[in-house]
Parts: sequence; C-alpha cells; structure tokens
Amino acid sequence: MIEKYSSIIGEDELDSIFKIAEKLKGLSILHVNSTAAGGGVAEILSKLVPLMNELGIKTDWKVIRGDQQFFTVTKAFHNSLQNGKGELPQNAFETYKKWQEINGNELDLDYDIVFIHDPQPAGLIEFRKKLGSKWIWRCHIDISQPYDVVWNFLRAYISKYNSMIVSSAIFGRSDLNIPQFIIPPSIDPLSIKNRDIPDITVYRILNKFDVDPDRPIITQVSRFDRAKDPVGVIQTYKLVKRHIDAQLVYLGSPASDDPEGEIVYKETVAAAGDDKDIKLLMLPPNSDLEVNVFQRASNVVMQKSIKEGFGLTVSESLWKRRPVIGGNTGGIPLQVIHGVTGYLVDTVEEAAHYALFLLRHTEIANKLGNNGHEHVRTNFVITRELKDYLMAAYLTMFPGTEIPK
Amino acid sequence: MMKYPSGIEKPSKEHFRFYAAYYLPIYAGIKAYTIDELIEGLRRVDGLSIFYHVFHPLFASHVMPEDLHNDFAVWIKNELHLDDLAYEISDIPGAEPRTVEDVRKDLIDILSRDKYDARAKRPFSFISCKPVIYDTGKEASNLAELMDLIASITFRAIGYHFVFKRVMGYSQKNDFSSWIERNYEEFTELGKRLSSLDPQTYTEEEKLRKDIISIIMEVFKR
Repeated sequence: MIEKYSSIIGEDELDSIFKIAEKLKGLSILHVNSTAAGGGVAEILSKLVPLMNELGIKTDWKVIRGDQQFFTVTKAFHNSLQNGKGELPQNAFETYKKWQEINGNELDLDYDIVFIHDPQPAGLIEFRKKLGSKWIWRCHIDISQPYDVVWNFLRAYISKYNSMIVSSAIFGRSDLNIPQFIIPPSIDPLSIKNRDIPDITVYRILNKFDVDPDRPIITQVSRFDRAKDPVGVIQTYKLVKRHIDAQLVYLGSPASDDPEGEIVYKETVAAAGDDKDIKLLMLPPNSDLEVNVFQRASNVVMQKSIKEGFGLTVSESLWKRRPVIGGNTGGIPLQVIHGVTGYLVDTVEEAAHYALFLLRHTEIANKLGNNGHEHVRTNFVITRELKDYLMAAYLTMFPGTEIPK
Repeated sequence: MMKYPSGIEKPSKEHFRFYAAYYLPIYAGIKAYTIDELIEGLRRVDGLSIFYHVFHPLFASHVMPEDLHNDFAVWIKNELHLDDLAYEISDIPGAEPRTVEDVRKDLIDILSRDKYDARAKRPFSFISCKPVIYDTGKEASNLAELMDLIASITFRAIGYHFVFKRVMGYSQKNDFSSWIERNYEEFTELGKRLSSLDPQTYTEEEKLRKDIISIIMEVFKR
C-alpha cells in the first residue's frame, strides 16, 4: 500500500520513511482514541495504523468506551477547550475519571509507545504499567485559549506524558514542561474524498443537487458553525453575484452534538433568502464522494472561517487544484499562501473581491490551483504525517539529541 | 563539451558516507508580539531554534522561493511592516565559519539598534527542532562519485552535510570541503570555493544544489 504513494511523493521521500521506521524496529506502538469511525482522528488512524504495520512496526489501535453521559462530558470539554467558555454537565470530572478507570482496567496498554489522541482518553496515563514505556498525547484541537477550569483538570494528566503533539505552533502551550512536537494534519490523496473521479460522476452528482456545471460555482465545505462564518459566505456570494452569474454551494453535515448548529443553520437559511442559486446542503457524515465532487467542480473554494483548528478542507481543495479564499486564522495561513495558492481574507468585502478576481481571471485561478496542489503534495500528504509520527515516537523513546555522524 | 578533469576518479583514502536528516519542529514555549519580545526570545532559545528559523524557508518545500531568507524577516515584514529592518535581518551573512551563535548575535545587535513601537496581530512563535538522522546507504569512493551523488541524492543529505553540521558547530567546515581537502590535495581549491558559498541566503533547495554543482564544474574546467 505504501508503495502507491511513491508516484505522489517521490522515491527519496518514501525511502526516508523506511529508513526512519527502521529505528523503531522491534518496538510496539498503540494508538488510543474515542471513536472507531467518523471524524478526522478515526479517519487518519484508519490509514496510519496499517501503514505503520506495513513498515514493520507492530502497531495496534484501540478505542475507549463510555456511556452517553461520558461523551456529553467529553463533548463539553472539547467545546470549552476550543471556545474558552465553560458549560459543563454536573459531576463532569467524576464522570470523566470513572470512565478512565473502567477503560484503564479493561484495555491492555502494555506497549513501548502509546499515542493517546485528544482529551477523551487522556486520563489513561494514570494506568501506565509497563516500565520504560513512553506516552505521547496527540492533541488534534485548538488549545490556545481554553476554558481554564477544564484545561487545568486535563493539564494535570498531560504533564505526566513524555511528550505531546500539537498541529501548529499557535496551539503550543507555555504552561507545560514536556516537549511539544508540531505535526500538522494531512490528507490522503488516495481516499475517496481526494482521488481523481470521472467527469461523468461529477456531472451526475451536480445534477442530483440541481447545480449547473456550466455556470461558476463557489463552494464552502463546513459545519453550520459561527466559527466558519456561513452567513459571511452568503454575503460574499451576494456581492459577487452583482457581477457574475455564480452559484454557491455550502456543504455541511448535521451536528447533533452541537446545540448551536440548528440555530446557525436557520440564520444561514434566512441570510440566503429565496435565491435559487444558493444550495445549502445538509449531507450525512462521510459523504466523501460528494465533498470530492463539489470541491473539484468549483471554480473557487472558500474557507472563510473566523476561528479554525487546522481547516483541512483547504488542503483537500488545493489538492484538487482549486484556489482557496481562506480566513486568516488557525492553520489556514499554513495552507493558503496569499497570492500563491489562494488569498487570505479578514472581511466579506475582501473575500468577495478575490472571489470575483479569480472568477474573472481563470488563468490565475488555474495557476494558484496548480501551486496549491504542489504545496499540499510536499507538505500535507499523509506520508509526511506518518514520517512525523515515527520521528516523534523515536525522539520520545530516545530523547537525547542525536550525535551527528 | 567539457574537458574531463583528470584525477577525479582516483580512489579516496576514506569513503564519503551520506547521511540525511529531518528536523521535527518543537514548540519552544515563547511567543513574541514586538521587537523587544523577539530579542528576548532570541536570547532564550537554543541554537536549534535559530537553525530552524534561519533555514526553515530552505527546507520548507515552498512552491515559490521566498524573497526573504529567514522566518524572522518574514514576520517583521508581514506583521510589523518594518520593511527595511526585515531586509537587513534577511541578509545576515552565514558563510563559513559562522555558526548559529554568530547569527544569534547579529540578529540581536541589529534588532537592538533602534526602538520600535510596532505590535503584531499574530505573534512570532519560536520553534525549535530535533534532528532525526538516517543513513542513506550511499557512499562515494572518489570525487567523481561524490559529484554524482550530490547531483542525485535527496536534498536532505546535502542539507545535513553542507549546512546543519557546520552551522550547529559540530564541524568547522562543511563535510564536502573537509573530505575533499583530506583526500585530494590537488583539489583543495574546490574545498575552499565550496566553503565560501553562503547557504543562509537560499530559500530553494534545488537552487543551492545547483550552485554547489556549478562550483564543482567551474573548478574542474580549469
């Protein structure tokens, strides 16, 4: 399987992965997270774990269990860490501790290197038994401005880890004394969401959702969440529409765990009004083929976030050679290089200006899209993340700086 | 057609073994919003952090080479809009025998010369790094093979032997020059010419590789 990436990343890069993996031969690795399917973490683990095994490193993946009460608590943790606001269910910390204990006693955690993903299983560190084992906390979310009560509760666990991983330096914490490796997330170019698909499939799906392939399409793929500024996207489109007969596709999925989602969706519907060229699509999670189609069929892709974790939909679109207009926040500036792979914006007016510019100048849109593809190929493909994980594991297992040869 | 220089296939006394390295970034725990905070950060971070920020554009695989040669200059220009200062910081010399400690001193000296009030919206996040070094399995047994491998091997190996070890102070000069001077007395000029190449003002890896090869070709032509 890993050989399939050779045509994308080149032989040198693939060779370096094998060489670095050799340093971990004989060690066992475990990944633990809170869900086997759905969401970005499960998606990346479903790829990384087989790849690590293919490299000859014994790697397992285990999923913690919990009742609805536990997952309500961890969802509240998640929100409060990202938005800095504290609305916790009653006895939240007790519930969290109870399920750490249940999972800690049920799961075999005796591996040489243990990656714990996100806050849900972070407390398992209390159940480390194997002498000399190294534990790494992989944080996939923005913890730069957390709700202090929750952060301090989790920090007591995290400070016991040997190292941790954040997605960007802007999420780095100054109140922890463990090494914080910086590993941005990645996309899998071979997945259904990103691989090439035949034109006939593109046309069929556009037709299914009543989108005209012969007129310009602007797309944003995001949850209906104020942080993603869906109303700002509608306003942007309306400014563009004064000049060009464009269509807007806003592709989201229902967020049952987000009580604000419904409200934001209604606000977006109200902002859209009766414009038939605005398609607000609520598709089930894992509608990967549809995401692929709409990103691919678009002339311009937007990720007009006001606050963002990493915003991997940007890399997905760039991979498909589509220029992206992105909010200047979170991990978006790592992917959108202003004037090179797209444009960074702070306001609706800026977004509309650049959308109009790209729709008028298709040759520039194509150039930016091609640049974007190359930028993703060299920086945000899954094999780079795989290599970074191997290096983080190695440097945590053997923490001294290597003596140059 | 270039004249084939004699002596380049003469076996070397020792083989040149090519290693390569990746540098995993680590958050250094310091963020700066002003020039004063940047200076304070520069004083506190380790040498690997200076290395990371000075050579990050070279190793970053950007689709377009940047016109500013290091992260500090990019931030000063984009966030503080102090263009002249950014250009000066960008062009700090880094040829042999200068190390990251010389660069650190230059950075602090230049930034401390005047007082600046500007405050950034987005901070400069200091990042350090840890090298992970691996054996490429390739080695040269004469000068001709060294040249062939420089032309074809992963840039990570060139960066390691030509940049990392020397600027981090593990060796006095780049490994290619050292090896040439130890093994080929008749080509010591080549070693010296390579030593005079300043990798710190490159932001594109293949351009640096090309210029190393150009120097080799030039010396061979004579």
